[in-house]
Amino acid sequence: MLTAEVIQELSAVVGAKHVMDSAEDLIIYSNDATMFHSRPEAVVQPGNRDEVVQIVKIAGRHNLPVTCRGAGTCLSGGPIPLKGGIVLEMTRMNRILKVDAVNKVAVVEPGVITFSLASAANQVGLLYPPDPSSMKESTLGGNISECAGGPKGVKYGITRNFVLGVEAVLADGTIVKTGNEVDGDMAGPDWTMLFTGSEGTLGVIVSITLRLVPIPPVKKTLMAVYDRLEDAAKTVSVTMASGIIPTTLEIMDNLSIVSVENYLKIGLPVQAGGLLLIEVDGVQSTVEEDADHVSEICKKCGASEVKMAQNAAEAEELWLARRSINPAFGQVAPCKFAEDATVPRSLVPVLVGRVLEVQKKYDVPIFICGHAGDGNMHPTIMFDKRNKDQKERAEKALHDVHIITLELGGTLSGEHGIGFAKAPYLRAETGEIGYKLGQEIKRSVDPHGLLNPGKIFFYEGVLH
Amino acid sequence: MNNQGRRRFIEQEIVKCSRCGTCRSICPVFLAENNENTTARSKNRLMEAVLEDDIELTPGVQKRFEKCLLCKACKAHCGSGVATDKVIMEGRAAAVERNGLSPMKKLAFTGLRYRKLFDLGLRTGALFQSLIFKKLPEGRGRVPRILLPGAGLNQRRIIPDMTANPLRVRLPKFIKARTAAGKGRVLFFTGCMLNYMYPESGEAVVGILTENGWDVVIPEKQCCCGTPAFTSGDVETGRFLAEQNIKAIRAEDYDHIVTACASCGAALKYEYEHVLGDSPLLKTWQGISTHVFDISQFVLRHCDLTKLGNLPIRVTYHDPCHLVRGMNVSAEPREILKAIPGLEFMEMKDASRCCGAGGSFSAVYYELSRKINDKKLDNIEDTGMDYLVTGCSSCRMHITDGLTQRKSAVEVLHTAEVIQMAYEAGRKEGKHVNS
Ligand SMILES: Cc1cc2nc3c(=O)[nH]c(=O)nc-3n(C[C@H](O)[C@H](O)[C@H](O)COP(=O)(O)OP(=O)(O)OC[C@H]3O[C@@H](n4cnc5c(N)ncnc54)[C@H](O)[C@@H]3O)c2cc1C
Ligand code: SF4
Ligand code: SF4
Repeated sequence: MLTAEVIQELSAVVGAKHVMDSAEDLIIYSNDATMFHSRPEAVVQPGNRDEVVQIVKIAGRHNLPVTCRGAGTCLSGGPIPLKGGIVLEMTRMNRILKVDAVNKVAVVEPGVITFSLASAANQVGLLYPPDPSSMKESTLGGNISECAGGPKGVKYGITRNFVLGVEAVLADGTIVKTGNEVDGDMAGPDWTMLFTGSEGTLGVIVSITLRLVPIPPVKKTLMAVYDRLEDAAKTVSVTMASGIIPTTLEIMDNLSIVSVENYLKIGLPVQAGGLLLIEVDGVQSTVEEDADHVSEICKKCGASEVKMAQNAAEAEELWLARRSINPAFGQVAPCKFAEDATVPRSLVPVLVGRVLEVQKKYDVPIFICGHAGDGNMHPTIMFDKRNKDQKERAEKALHDVHIITLELGGTLSGEHGIGFAKAPYLRAETGEIGYKLGQEIKRSVDPHGLLNPGKIFFYEGVLH
Repeated sequence: MNNQGRRRFIEQEIVKCSRCGTCRSICPVFLAENNENTTARSKNRLMEAVLEDDIELTPGVQKRFEKCLLCKACKAHCGSGVATDKVIMEGRAAAVERNGLSPMKKLAFTGLRYRKLFDLGLRTGALFQSLIFKKLPEGRGRVPRILLPGAGLNQRRIIPDMTANPLRVRLPKFIKARTAAGKGRVLFFTGCMLNYMYPESGEAVVGILTENGWDVVIPEKQCCCGTPAFTSGDVETGRFLAEQNIKAIRAEDYDHIVTACASCGAALKYEYEHVLGDSPLLKTWQGISTHVFDISQFVLRHCDLTKLGNLPIRVTYHDPCHLVRGMNVSAEPREILKAIPGLEFMEMKDASRCCGAGGSFSAVYYELSRKINDKKLDNIEDTGMDYLVTGCSSCRMHITDGLTQRKSAVEVLHTAEVIQMAYEAGRKEGKHVNS
């Protein structure tokens, strides 16, 4: 129980203004971008690392769970305080400490908005490639903790590929520094990776060292239109096998195309079964060549039309459809399960086919879009949560999508994390031993289960 | 709308909120405060909790609903199209029903409901304004000592001198076109701010219209459009005022209705639908609303741009929320400004971002609204232009206040004033408007 005495202790650390415990605040901080919620007992906003240390120690003394929170845009329930206790909102710690153009390294506090860092890097001619669609809202702390991906993941990789080191406060209040500013650091196992994707269960990240890359001088954008979605999916695996690595390879199915067209009226091919949005970047000579090559592959795989943007404005036009998927979906049904089922690239066509079956089986609209290039698909199941029957069918469809993904040797999460939303299926993915190992690691770092309890390996519901 | 209808409306909106957090990156209040508390999604979430009986409509909830400029930026950017602005207004209305209005607002809105009393009050106020306002040196305006209805005044705010001679007193009810061939009749809805604080802008509107061959009628019985009342949750006063205005307009002969205040325009054209609810005047309003134009829209469609004379001034333009997102007017003023010979126009960064005025918001949260305004002022000053042009008196007052406090040389003009100046220049150049 969080008593008035604890509130006083916390206030003494961060100032009363940064401790919130009114019912209104607790409701506001009870959820993320999923449909679940669970109230904390207090919200605390630390301003620096030392305050984090003190808060964690206070929480430990009173046996109160601590759940970190960035922008609360998580799609798997990560920042939801399942067991109450303290929500530790990290957004006050939002300074970009360093952008080192020579060594191509940035050091930031966890509350920095991804877009702010990307802009700062841009100003010195560098690129921070991880670009989750939520990059204007989400924090780097949240990105690291979820190991966020994005459209550029095909070529550059996801957040994991850009984290060089972190500084984290452990459950007992001690501070650990992993990695450093050297790209080729191989002193022992990759501790940094242990924290990347740990979803706030292993430590509170208070500082992050990130790798930056040069901005490629040119890029070219194409859109390929297909009669059959399966052909679009096939193009993905053929392209990747060809040796060309596009920057982005985004897929949209007929449902997505039609709903975006209904929403925007920009003349999208509503008859098409699917389309691909492809971007290649690099130096002038290879980009031209790659773009032509990709265009040929598209045609060979059955594209009925390939559009190539001639300038930035035309490229922006092609991107508009992809960017408008979210608002367009909103016109179809008010609620959605936005999934990130990910399979080996070669199996993207199979996944697509199976998801289409699920859609028929439960009679719920499922939109298929996503970062097809790295196998990271976003089957999005639409429903109205006020309609009980519809919601149940949507939940069943979701279950099937998880199972299919696993059957195909894929992963439950290509980028959104496990949290507790996908935790029931985790053992099926890791196996018994992997699951146990996960628990052991957590126990050795956080023996009392102080940090974000009830998540990932410590989910208490039924496991599949 | 009855209670059932209101509830259904709110439910329908909030079920769409996916809590994606996109509103974090655009809500001016959130960007100033960096507190989840102030986002649109939190307000939707709180409303949901209220409907689910998870929490009562406490003063705490009410306070959170108050912390919103109703700038509609969240709605414009929301992927799910949640009308959070309406949800908040409903929330405020319900909270007012339960907890009542603050005494200050109660006083102000009672004034609004009694137009004559309000009119008299303000005019006496002007006569005796030296008693009420502290005059600032160098004619910089005055700092109010009392609170005025609707304008959202604060003890520290600098406002223009109140006029002893409001627009509707200066001008006759009916003004004939300057040219012989009258094109038709335009009903001019003046609104409070133009009437009492910026009558020159109102005169400019009339000048533009008559210059272009339109007769103008200014209905005597029009009153405050009601925006300050219904946005504060005082539904009763809001509806009373809306009905007054509809009756006043209905009684006149007109071809078009012109407004020169973003909030009045948005209210008359769109917001009244929500305000009127099940009022018997809803149908009448529907007939009226299609005739409403902002002055910039009207100029572009029905006035002669070739008669604009040389006006060598350097300007940037601020989009008032209720024009750009309330009335979908943003291209028109720019097109006109660019059509004025000799005028240099430069776009500022984030021109459509709220200036922080937000009606009574700036009265209750003056410091916060100044902070939001500071961003706007930076962007204005960064353009290096001499004038800021805008189409809303409330923005004008708030921005002028800020510019004055930071001793900036930039001056603020209403779009209509700039147009009128250009027509005057045109007349001197011999470009008479005859058609
Ligand atoms: C519209 C939308 C689009 C999205 N698009 C993408 C996408 O393209 N790719 C993608 O990968 N994801 C996407 N997401 C999911 C989400 O944005 C990401 O998971 C993001 O990284 C979460 O960041 P956040 O700052 O919101 O973190 P939160 O949601 O607040 O927290 C996420 C997790 O990180 C932990 N955490 C946060 N800060 C810290 C810290 N300092 N130390 C330790 N743990 C911490 C929390 O405990 C929680 O478990 C999207 C979400 C939405 C709503
Ligand atoms: S942008 Fe819209 S859907 Fe997203 S959280 Fe805000 S109000 Fe909800
Ligand atoms: S209307 Fe404006 S101030 Fe209010 S919540 Fe939306 S974006 Fe924020």
